[in-house]
Amino acid sequence: MPDSQHSVHNRLAVLRTERGLSRRQLADKLGINYQTIGYIERGDYNPSLELALTIAELFRLPIEAIFSLKPMTPLSEEIFREPPEATR
Amino acid sequence: MNTTLSREIEYLPQSRRRLLVAVALAGYPVAVAALAGLKHTSVNRWLILAVFLLLLMPTLVTLAVGYRYARGRIDGRCARLDGRRVRLDERDLALRQQAYALSHRVLTVILIAATAITEIYLTSGNTLQLDANTFWLAAMWVIVYLPALPSLMLAWIETDQPADA
Repeated sequence: MPDSQHSVHNRLAVLRTERGLSRRQLADKLGINYQTIGYIERGDYNPSLELALTIAELFRLPIEAIFSLKPMTPLSEEIFREPPEATR
Repeated sequence: MNTTLSREIEYLPQSRRRLLVAVALAGYPVAVAALAGLKHTSVNRWLILAVFLLLLMPTLVTLAVGYRYARGRIDGRCARLDGRRVRLDERDLALRQQAYALSHRVLTVILIAATAITEIYLTSGNTLQLDANTFWLAAMWVIVYLPALPSLMLAWIETDQPADA
């Protein structure tokens, strides 16, 4: 796969576990093969925009909360992060 | 093919799959080279045939494993996962496309290399006798590898399967 294929990071594994879904269950909801979920979670496959949007819709989260071009920080860190000065 | 064996093939690690592909690709030329080498010796014809078939066996086995590994994803008519019929999803389709592209490249390299070697051989003052036997061996190569290459390339490029969860 081209190098650009490795530049998308995701939180799929965390979100799936949090909602108590197995790969198979999530795959069935998305209409894909369960192994594809594993490949996405491992970062070996970047989903199409359509699939990424479907995943975001399923988790009821904005797409940028699941997929990012930058490495993902832990969710807890993001939740308890101090807001920037300008927005206070 | 029983389910346990099918599952083992499905979950073969990439390193082992690549070894199988190498054996599948090298096996037939090695068998043909051995046949050509032994044909003009005094070795018994049946023994030559036995050696040829013995050398051909790993190719046939690895081709079958490669085909089973692709489990219908190359033609997309009967894709299977854990023994169940499944439709190809976007990753399968992308992988299939990559496998076909790589097959084309491999085939091109092999044909160019074969042409170049033949050309060098002929321009060095040698002659090449193209009889039915030689033609048949070349035709066999096409018959065996042309349909099998995409499956083999798929087995070559796909990374290790994630563990089931």
